[in-house]
Amino acid sequence: MKLFADDAWRTTWNYFKESKGGLWGLGFLGLVMICVIFADVIAPFDPSLQNREALLLPPIWTEAGHWPYILGTDAVGRDMLSRLIYGARYSMFIGFVVVSLAVIVGTLLGLIAGYYQSWLDTIIMRLMDVILAFPSLLLALGLVAVLGPGLVNAMYAIALVMLPHFVRLTRANVLSEKNRDYVIASRIVGASNWRLMFNSILPNCMAPLIVQATLSFSNAILDAAALGFLGMGAQPPIPEWGAMLAEAREFISRAWWVVTFPGLAILLTVLSINLVGDALRDALDPRMRRS
Amino acid sequence: MFKFILSKIILLIPTFLGITLAAFLFVRLLPGDPVTILSGERGISPERRAEMIAQLGLDKPVIVQYFTYLKNILQGDFGQSISTHRPVVEEFFERLPATMELAFFAILIAVLIGVPAGIIAAVKRGRWPDHVLMGSALTGYSMPIFWWGLLLIMLFSTTLGWTPVSGRLDIINYYFDPVTGFMTVDAWLSGQEGAVTSALHHLILPSVVLSTIPMAVIARQTRSAMLEVLGEDYIRTAYAKGLPTWRVIGIHALRNAMITVVTVIGLQVGTLMAGAVLTETIFSWPGVGKWMIDAISHRDYPAVQGGLLFISMLVMLVNLIVDLMYGWINPRVRDGK
Repeated sequence: MKLFADDAWRTTWNYFKESKGGLWGLGFLGLVMICVIFADVIAPFDPSLQNREALLLPPIWTEAGHWPYILGTDAVGRDMLSRLIYGARYSMFIGFVVVSLAVIVGTLLGLIAGYYQSWLDTIIMRLMDVILAFPSLLLALGLVAVLGPGLVNAMYAIALVMLPHFVRLTRANVLSEKNRDYVIASRIVGASNWRLMFNSILPNCMAPLIVQATLSFSNAILDAAALGFLGMGAQPPIPEWGAMLAEAREFISRAWWVVTFPGLAILLTVLSINLVGDALRDALDPRMRRS
Repeated sequence: MFKFILSKIILLIPTFLGITLAAFLFVRLLPGDPVTILSGERGISPERRAEMIAQLGLDKPVIVQYFTYLKNILQGDFGQSISTHRPVVEEFFERLPATMELAFFAILIAVLIGVPAGIIAAVKRGRWPDHVLMGSALTGYSMPIFWWGLLLIMLFSTTLGWTPVSGRLDIINYYFDPVTGFMTVDAWLSGQEGAVTSALHHLILPSVVLSTIPMAVIARQTRSAMLEVLGEDYIRTAYAKGLPTWRVIGIHALRNAMITVVTVIGLQVGTLMAGAVLTETIFSWPGVGKWMIDAISHRDYPAVQGGLLFISMLVMLVNLIVDLMYGWINPRVRDGK
């Protein structure tokens, strides 16, 4: 199934590259992706290798810093740069899994709710209202408290919290598309419900879903980092950026670098994704365009 | 208007039932039976166990149990904390003022900076102030606030020594009994010299941290609301009849843009409560956010359950007020549907 024609991609790209911010974001994300794929090659050290001779070593450009610890070391002598590079893997993986889960389940529920508009619609939408009534991070925290702390449970929790946005968005789009001429035409020629839902309606709802998925990707990374920071997400010694910050907290008055770099990595990654998301929105959906 | 209010309240009933059901199921989803969970980690004698099962009505069908739970909630009984053996309601409302004070100052900062920033960006659209302001807004929106808090502590508390690292008041030099629970107000009521300053000193960094994301959202939304309004005919008319720019923007445009902005401000309550969890943890601020985190780490499930329920009800209530205000400001919404 082809969701977009070739020149739809080209048009989107032509709009996208008008946004300087979007290009910067894409560039930085490219860099992060290189870290994700080639972490084993680029990282100077194993992320869990402890060097007892080099505890809390500052970055190389300060007086006390020395080669090869470019960004310094943490409290047990692990290389900061290597941990940050491997940490990119966790953040991107979390974002990818969480958003995929939320998009797949959310789109499916939204399609069903919007297409059939029966008691199922009512149940699904009321359920989503309930999820939306809780502040997202708090609900995720509560769920993790039930499921037990850990990266996988944190990802489930965040995906669940994000679900309503995709359900609502898909449903609203299905409602506006399903009585269009092209849908009625395919129904008349005998297309099945299944075919109408997935081949006729869904491709025409994709643009806002792609934008929402991009923006959710950054939220997933932020929330996972927050859970990691609170000790409810990834557990040490995993080099997840949020968990690294949790470990770094007690060295706040002695070693600025162990606090500064993991957060900077989160900020830049999230900012890049949001820049790309904004640019994508402008390119994909003329109605949502930020004037 | 009465019909409008009533319809809004009726719409909330299914959500309220859903929230209570979710909270009810929360403790049942945990591995192990509720009595083991409610009795904490030390466990209890078999007699006490049987007594608790009868007392909690666990020998009855689940649906009856849910309605008992609902009845208790409506009567204000939200269960007892495992770690303190005090009613969850008391524990929660004891800490709520601290969170509300923090949230109030955060939203104040967010509005005082966010709204003007959005207006300037809209008026200077496409020029450097727009780029700088919206770039900062997007950065703020992308900020992991727990890290932002740590950075600010590192700069202003440990390096410069301007602000305290944690707490709500300099308790070595000042002491007074809580009256309202709002430290700034209590300090002022106590009449002790310097107490208010000390309270504000403690408040500044946490509120700045908590205000970051709402400020970014408010700035972005104000900008787009203003841009929409600035394109309207009546703005052109206002300019055409020779009104000064400040009047057109400050009065004609802003008043109409405010409808959107007020809604956005109201919708930030959920964000504030989630942010409060992180902010209060970093600054050891004794509010409901930190209480929730402590409850989770002590496996104090009745407290977590009650806390989640209270907070979502609070958010629901604020959203209702925003909806009603929106209908009040904008008659089209009230009569349109």
